[in-house]
Amino acid sequence: MATNKEMTGGAAGATVIGPTITINGKLSGDEDLTVRGRVEGEVTLTKTLFLEVSGVVKANVSVKNAVISGVVVGNVRATESVELTKEGRMVGDIAAPRVILVDGASFRGRIEMGDASVSRAAGDRVGRPARVSARPSAPPRPPPPPRAEARGMANSKSTVTPILSKIESKSPPVPPALAAGKRKVVVRKRER
Amino acid sequence: MMEREAEHMANTVIGSSIVIDGEISGEEDLVVQGTVKGKISLKESLFVEGSGIVEADIQTQNVEVAGKVTGNINASQKVELKSDCRVVGDIRAPRILIADGASFKGNVDMDAKGR
Repeated sequence: MATNKEMTGGAAGATVIGPTITINGKLSGDEDLTVRGRVEGEVTLTKTLFLEVSGVVKANVSVKNAVISGVVVGNVRATESVELTKEGRMVGDIAAPRVILVDGASFRGRIEMGDASVSRAAGDRVGRPARVSARPSAPPRPPPPPRAEARGMANSKSTVTPILSKIESKSPPVPPALAAGKRKVVVRKRER
Repeated sequence: MMEREAEHMANTVIGSSIVIDGEISGEEDLVVQGTVKGKISLKESLFVEGSGIVEADIQTQNVEVAGKVTGNINASQKVELKSDCRVVGDIRAPRILIADGASFKGNVDMDAKGR
């Protein structure tokens, strides 16, 4: 029953829910909480929730930080961070500015990183112009299809290709079209 | 002596800033330094420390109270009310100790045959 973790937990004097303990109801407090047992209902803390491997939380959790190595069924809202360790398993939604999912962690649900998504969107906007500016070197890509068509239509070669080449020479319109195509991709990323 | 041992053995501690409203059950010692409302049922011992407040019906093997308890206590072995504790409710256990300075209001039932 005794483990090293237990000793450290005991020494810290923080709250520990032992492995055979089941709490059914509301739990709130202003200190770190270590759960090795089972908590069902609602957990509200102004500090950190440590859910250890043997711990099970079936509750809506509202904390500052959460480190999950056990099982969570419910929504977790943290004002700072949520970390799912490699042993962590969770079904539910996470809302926190920082969310860390370690390799091996199992998670099903939504993640919302409120403030972080805004700064990321801003980062994308900054990044896009740079990509567009890098593309002018790419315009050679569109020409090949027109040329193929032109070859098929032997008579129109002389007329069509110069027009195309003129259009192509107006490179500014082309990169925006490319950019628009890639913008769509970025939008998809956002939707995810 | 029992208390010291138990404090070191205890797995579960409800810290002083913690408030639990609901049911706690388990098979290990429980130390309450915070607040518990509702119901506590354990197969081991419950320690309500000086800062602890329990407003719950308690069903355990042993109970040691140094804090405040409001509710009925049902212990299969022993209930100990330390000095400076305040207990309101009925106590039912084969062994009941009330220390000098303890405050208690309620019925006591030490009927050993019932156990």
